[in-house]
Amino acid sequence: MTDTSPNPAAELPIKVVARDVTVSYSGKQALHDVSIEIPDRSVTAFIGPSGCGKSTFLRCLNRMNDTIDGAKVGGSLTIDGQEINDKSIDPVVLRASVGMVFQKPNPFPKSIYDNVAYGPRIHGLALTRPELDEIVENALRKAGLWEEVSDRLNHPGTSLSGGQQQRLVIARAIAVNPEVILMDEPCSALDPIATARIEELIDELRENYCIIIVTHSMQQAARVSQQTAFFHMGNLVEYGPTEDIFTNPRDTRTQDYITGRFG
Amino acid sequence: MSIIAIVALAIIVMLAGGFYVGRSRAISAVSGATARLHSLPNFHGYYVAIWTGLPAFILLAAYGMFGSGLVDRLTAMELRRDAAALTASFETALEADTETLALAETLAVLRDRADGVAEAMADLRSASGSDRDPARLEALQSEQTDLVNQLATAEDARLGRRAELRDGVSDEAAEAGASVRALAGFELAHAPRERRQLFLSDARRIATDGLASRASPELDAAAAVMRRHADQIRNLVAGIAIAIAFGGLIRTRGQVAAAFRARNHVESLVTAMLFLSSVIAIMTTIGIVFSLLFESLRFFSTVPLTEFLFGLQWSPQIALRADQVGQSGAFGAVPLFAGTAMITVIAMIVAVPIGLLSAIYLSEYAGPRFRLTAKPVLEILAGVPTVVYGFFALLTVGPAIRGFFAMIGIDDVVTQSALSAGLVMGVMIIPFISSLSDDVINSVPQSLRDGSYAMGATKSETIGRVIIPAALPGIVGAILLAVSRAVGETMIVVMAAGQGANLTANPLESVTTITVQIVMLLTGDQEFDSPKTLSAFALGLVLFVITLVMNVIALRVVQRYREKYD
Amino acid sequence: MTDTPDISPIRTAVSKNLGARYRAELRFRAAGLAAVAAAVGILVILLSSIVSGGLPAFTVNELELTVDLDEELVDPSGERSEDSLRRGSYSRVLQNAIRTEFPEVTGRRELRNLFSLYTALNATRLMDEVLEDPGLIGTQHRFTMPLADDLDLYLKGLLVEERSFQPQGTLSLEPSDAGVVVRSTATDFRDLAAEIARTLRARATLLETEADRLTERAQELSGTEAEDMLYDADLNRRQAADIRARLEIDAGPIELDNSLPSILVESEGRTVRLASLARNGAGGTGEYLLGGDSVEAENAWSIQVIDTPVERRRVSDQLIVWTRALEERGAISSTFNTYLFANADSREPELAGVKGALYGSILTMIITIIISVPIGVFTALYLEEYAPKNRFTALIEVNINNLAAVPSIVFGLLGLAVFINAFGLPRSAPLVGGLVLSLMTLPTVIIATRAALKAVPQSIRQAALAVGASRTQTVFHHVLPLAAPGILTGAIIGLAQAMGETAPLLMIGMVAFIADAPTLGLEGFTEPATVMPVQIFLWSDGAERAFEARTAAAILVLLALMIGFNALAIYLRRRFERRW
Repeated sequence: MTDTSPNPAAELPIKVVARDVTVSYSGKQALHDVSIEIPDRSVTAFIGPSGCGKSTFLRCLNRMNDTIDGAKVGGSLTIDGQEINDKSIDPVVLRASVGMVFQKPNPFPKSIYDNVAYGPRIHGLALTRPELDEIVENALRKAGLWEEVSDRLNHPGTSLSGGQQQRLVIARAIAVNPEVILMDEPCSALDPIATARIEELIDELRENYCIIIVTHSMQQAARVSQQTAFFHMGNLVEYGPTEDIFTNPRDTRTQDYITGRFG
Repeated sequence: MSIIAIVALAIIVMLAGGFYVGRSRAISAVSGATARLHSLPNFHGYYVAIWTGLPAFILLAAYGMFGSGLVDRLTAMELRRDAAALTASFETALEADTETLALAETLAVLRDRADGVAEAMADLRSASGSDRDPARLEALQSEQTDLVNQLATAEDARLGRRAELRDGVSDEAAEAGASVRALAGFELAHAPRERRQLFLSDARRIATDGLASRASPELDAAAAVMRRHADQIRNLVAGIAIAIAFGGLIRTRGQVAAAFRARNHVESLVTAMLFLSSVIAIMTTIGIVFSLLFESLRFFSTVPLTEFLFGLQWSPQIALRADQVGQSGAFGAVPLFAGTAMITVIAMIVAVPIGLLSAIYLSEYAGPRFRLTAKPVLEILAGVPTVVYGFFALLTVGPAIRGFFAMIGIDDVVTQSALSAGLVMGVMIIPFISSLSDDVINSVPQSLRDGSYAMGATKSETIGRVIIPAALPGIVGAILLAVSRAVGETMIVVMAAGQGANLTANPLESVTTITVQIVMLLTGDQEFDSPKTLSAFALGLVLFVITLVMNVIALRVVQRYREKYD
Repeated sequence: MTDTPDISPIRTAVSKNLGARYRAELRFRAAGLAAVAAAVGILVILLSSIVSGGLPAFTVNELELTVDLDEELVDPSGERSEDSLRRGSYSRVLQNAIRTEFPEVTGRRELRNLFSLYTALNATRLMDEVLEDPGLIGTQHRFTMPLADDLDLYLKGLLVEERSFQPQGTLSLEPSDAGVVVRSTATDFRDLAAEIARTLRARATLLETEADRLTERAQELSGTEAEDMLYDADLNRRQAADIRARLEIDAGPIELDNSLPSILVESEGRTVRLASLARNGAGGTGEYLLGGDSVEAENAWSIQVIDTPVERRRVSDQLIVWTRALEERGAISSTFNTYLFANADSREPELAGVKGALYGSILTMIITIIISVPIGVFTALYLEEYAPKNRFTALIEVNINNLAAVPSIVFGLLGLAVFINAFGLPRSAPLVGGLVLSLMTLPTVIIATRAALKAVPQSIRQAALAVGASRTQTVFHHVLPLAAPGILTGAIIGLAQAMGETAPLLMIGMVAFIADAPTLGLEGFTEPATVMPVQIFLWSDGAERAFEARTAAAILVLLALMIGFNALAIYLRRRFERRW
């Protein structure tokens, strides 16, 4: 029904593979047979009008749908060839390796340090305090926040500005050194300047991680992503290199959407 | 009563009539074209009806509340006038009586000494460094207790002598053939409060043809006076009520016209009524504060505040007879505070973990069906009257604790212990804590949970490291509210904690609390003016202040917390 | 796609201590479930202890006697006037009736004992029956009255432990100077004798152990305390020695005293209590408690053992035997306890009922409803719909929130100081009780009403205002009707709470013993009364054990009322619930 190319960036290894993924909430189908292959060390953007299923699909990738009563996921989803919906895969382990950043910055009501140290602590990744200090510093540096907060690590995370909070949350996610980072409209609650910083950050992180970002803004998708997938009414309509999608969409719905006829 | 009932009925009829008159006049004023009226015809009706009925009914209600009190007062006044001669001779007898004079002098001396001791104690307490002298303070304390006893004895003696003289005067007058009205008036003027009240209530029963507990010519005379006053006041009230109802009807009927803003008038009356209702809440608080303060101040004029707040001995029995000096009155409330604190702590040890953990389990783990059954069960615990908990503590928990300790070889455990009261109070508090914490936990935003789960945290890690810290202020507020409830709880402790004012840290002994003592002091026969009774109000004031402070803090904490996440 | 799944370092690291983390998870979850289970379990224990304690009070053992309403006793002046009938000696009538049942009882003490089968207050009930129907005078009248409370408990099996068994041999009873000699052809008493010997031996051992303990403790102490202990130890040893001496083989029959189980031998309307047991277990000596003739070779007999010794129970063997005899004669029947509902309070548990407290509660609640519901609703309407947002309004709001948490007993103090002492309203009256409870319930009603008003969507108000309705019309025509179910539910819950409240009512004197129910009318509001929870409090303090069951029964009645109220609230909520 749709014409998707399985691997738009052949030079990069494939990280995530979805085959006929369906999701239904209490019997209502929200996602229809999505198949996609997402390469490592690049940014893949999911775009589409609200309610199109892009966030739902994102939440499949770290099994966050498990936390919703009545959610059912079907089909096959693999990361590095390993089926993540398999019974033998523990969601705790999966989520440790798949970080997630949410729409609204959600730092815990703890200090900046404790926010970043949260993951390493619960997973027991650091045995000594210096080790933990190092992890925290690295994560904050990678998130580009170290210079701004190094002198007030004991301040509550909620005392930071919105953009800083979002970078703190990213630092929190990368502190456990995940393989995939999911971002669910990470800039929708931020002003343009903070958005620019985050986009810069995403671009830097691309070196080391497989990043999947859901966004409302087509400009943002065009700016940060290498691949773009367009979702509509629970279907994956079109998927390909970002350039192709924006300059030469094959599906009329994609065309209508990016030209602003609906959305 | 029947006349008043007829009047009430008449006013209701006038009120209904007023509504009809107002309505029909409004319609006829515009000859049926009601659209030309400023207000709907009904509003004109309401307006007339309200001014017809409301003032008259307020008068009747006031009569119902205060009528009998007024009659009593008038009766007493009239009879007392008749007894003027007797009162005069009683007063001369009092003045001439050497014993009374001697006692008054003793009292004055004792009061001086008590003041001196209190002052010296205050000085010592505020002293610092080398001037501190605990031994002397203790000596002064015992001297003070002694003085309080002596004061009470002397006061009793004075009152006893007074009663003797009074009875003498009244017996003499009766023999000399004084009028029964004078004797009744004398009784009403100088007998102790309880006797006066009994006299009046008996007279009232006779006056209303009920059965009195006794009969005497004095009572009959008083009843006759009372009946006359009651009839007068009743007729007066009935007449005025009819008159103002009628006046209101006539006046407001004249106001009805096409342009008359009846609706605005009615609505501002409604608003005023609603406003007055909301003022009652304030009046209640003012009433509480003033009644507690007023009586407490009277108490603190006999027992110093420092003695009350820091004294270690509580035995409020003021010597009843002269030879009972050993049975002293000591008003050191520390044992009560300690007992209250101990029982509250035990209750919290039970209630906080169980209440908090069940709230967490129900809101984070339990499936919807389990939640739907378990929550109402917890609410039932909250609905059980406290007297039932008291009975449970007395009948089941107390003996069970005793049995348990007897089993492990501790035999001298009493059934009424701090432990049993505390445990049962804890059970009572569980639903309180769990429902408040449930609210608090549910108001932690879902995004924080998601954030934690997305990091790979398990449920218990999310709860322990994110939800609880986030909800902590709210939980602290809930616990504070629960503590304040435990401190003010009465029936469980009255029934289960015993009455001994022990200053002990052993939860297996019986202790007493502020609330228990208030109940003990104010139930049974009492003289309203004795320090014993007044001390209950002082304790009530302490209780009120403690709970108020905790509530204010708790409400503020919870409110801040809510604002943070809303 | 890679061929072999490459397990990343983070996954390995996390997997390492996953087991411990899940165990912690399980422990936490179990703790939560345990907490819920504890709360539910306590509720179950609470309710079951009250139900099991209260159920026996719903039945009563009634004694039905034929009383001879002799004119001379009942109507001393013979004129049938109320005055004369009131002076009649109805207790004599009852006494005569019970004496005809047991004509053999003659001694003064025995008679007094016999009359304690019922309480003397029943004479008043008999008088009331006669006053109602003077035609009964001179007739034989069937009069029913409740059995004395302890005997009622005995018949319900709540007072003593007892057992009975069929003996093997045949019985002979032979009256002698010292009582009666009991003989069986078999050794029917052998097991009992052995049992009693065991009990006595155990008692002696206990005394000796205690003596040893005291001696030991005394060695650690000195002075008078140690001397006292040694003295006690000595006393214990002597008592133990006495007991052991009693058990010596050649000491003759084993004496039975009040600290040992009672052994009763019953046969065809005769009952003998054994005072001693023969060693061979074939009989003993004793005294007649019922009947008094001798018996030879009787087959139909039984042995009754009351294991609870006399000194540890409140009724004597004699009363038990009489009661059982009356029961066998069909004079006692167990029926539903109407006294519990038809009577007001009484000093005698078997006549005490909840009627007075029930009426008091009804009167008090009427006042509470009349005052707290309108004022509460008006206040909430004012604050929610009318009040400008200013300091005074904020003050009222803070004030209401704090009033909701003021201990109830403080409201009692307010009532005492203001309503009784300042206004001069009568003590112990439902009027004052209702006023106090109204003030206490007010915050609950206000808060519930405000919540209900808040739940009415703003759009309804805007719609009404937009068509030109005034604010008052909007509120009374649209908002209030929509909020009514919520208001009603809140008010009922608040009132149910008030109905269970005790402490403030103690302050205003509603705790007095009141033997007459207040009138269910206007004058009832100022008559002295008590209410259900206070009645429960009063009875829980009662010295008689039968009050325990009455208390639990009264609690059941109160809980039933409250459950009814709450069920009504839930029904209303379900019936009228609206979701926007």
